[in-house]
Amino acid sequence: MMEKKRIVEEGLLEQYLIGDLPLDQQLEVEQLLASDASLRKEYKQMEASFEALAFEQSIIPPNEIKDQLKKVIEKKSSNPYQKFAFPIAAGLALLFGLSTFWMFTKWQSTETDLLDLQNQTSSLQSRIQSIEDSYQTVNTNLENINNGQVIPVVLYGNQKAPGSRVVAYVNHDQKIVFVNPETLPPLPADKTYQMWSDVDGEMIDMGLLDSKRNLIELKYIEAAESLNITIEPAGGNDHPTVADLVSYVTL
Amino acid sequence: MIRNLDDIQLTKKVSEGDERALYQLYDKYSSAIYGVILRMCRDEDQAKDLLQETFVKIWKNIDGYDPKKGRFYTWAYRIARNTVLNSIRKQKNLIQTEELGVHTNTEAEENPKDFTVLEGSLAQLEPHHQRAITLVYYMGHTHHEAHKVMDVPLGTFKSYIRQALKQLKTIYGRELILVWSFFEMMI
Repeated sequence: MMEKKRIVEEGLLEQYLIGDLPLDQQLEVEQLLASDASLRKEYKQMEASFEALAFEQSIIPPNEIKDQLKKVIEKKSSNPYQKFAFPIAAGLALLFGLSTFWMFTKWQSTETDLLDLQNQTSSLQSRIQSIEDSYQTVNTNLENINNGQVIPVVLYGNQKAPGSRVVAYVNHDQKIVFVNPETLPPLPADKTYQMWSDVDGEMIDMGLLDSKRNLIELKYIEAAESLNITIEPAGGNDHPTVADLVSYVTL
Repeated sequence: MIRNLDDIQLTKKVSEGDERALYQLYDKYSSAIYGVILRMCRDEDQAKDLLQETFVKIWKNIDGYDPKKGRFYTWAYRIARNTVLNSIRKQKNLIQTEELGVHTNTEAEENPKDFTVLEGSLAQLEPHHQRAITLVYYMGHTHHEAHKVMDVPLGTFKSYIRQALKQLKTIYGRELILVWSFFEMMI
């Protein structure tokens, strides 16, 4: 680092002022100027005198020089590439932005479509499963009621269930009974239909009948002489309420 | 101070590509810089070209100007000085010598034409101080060249420059006080 004393005594500040120092010395002077306030003050005064001197010695240049300068500067500024560089860059940036936005939108839209498609597929699968289940049920029911071993029996409703026709499908070989109670009239919520088998004068419970269903499997009772339907409290009864007998058939 | 603040704003505008700011700087400083260039090259046609070239360089290199390091004029002066010295170096009939750098005719330098007559405060300095300042500031000599032209030791020459600047500072300070007193009286 140069010493301040040397800079002042050797006139390096004056040389720095006119740009007459080699680069290394120039940098050192600049460092010292940045760190030493008194030297900086001295340099500022020197600059002020230098500038004042220049204005005293000034000579007004001919106007043509400014005109010529304008031509040169404006020619450089009117370089088409330079002039349009910003608008072109801005245009390209806008185009890039728009295309990116368009692609993003398309991507989002495609993703939504894909999601919809997946949902639809899932819904279709679920519906197919449901149809398959229904088909399986219908098929099973059909097999249960439509074979040579099944004896269909019709129970006509009395005045408590006028016009109803309950069909019971009895298979003595496989010991199963299916009943279609659809035609029974609806009951209040606290009541239910119950079916009974009469065996040697004793009524044996076969199960409850839900008139909303079209085929119900009931308990098969060996040696039943007749089938009977009564109206009972909701949940069923241990013994039939004979007064509320709706229908019966002798087997 | 106001001038410097203006200059900082103008140079900032120039760096942003504002041509009008450059023309404002030209209006402000071209005569001061032209005075330097004309005294250095002593040829009016050449001086015109060099002044234009100097301002084109200022336009192109404005980002290299750092207001923290000094005044705009000082920076512009260095550009003008280098531009003139480079031009003189390129002249085919130049006989370059180590002793005299780019200058070949000491007589011509000491007896410039009319347009190089020194004005104002510089004329108030002692002749050897005037000469030292002229050689360095207006003829583009380095200190090493100029002390040989004046035929004095380098140290002596440097002290001439230092003393000359001190005197100028005193003169400008006195003038500033006079101007201030004048304004005080007006108020």
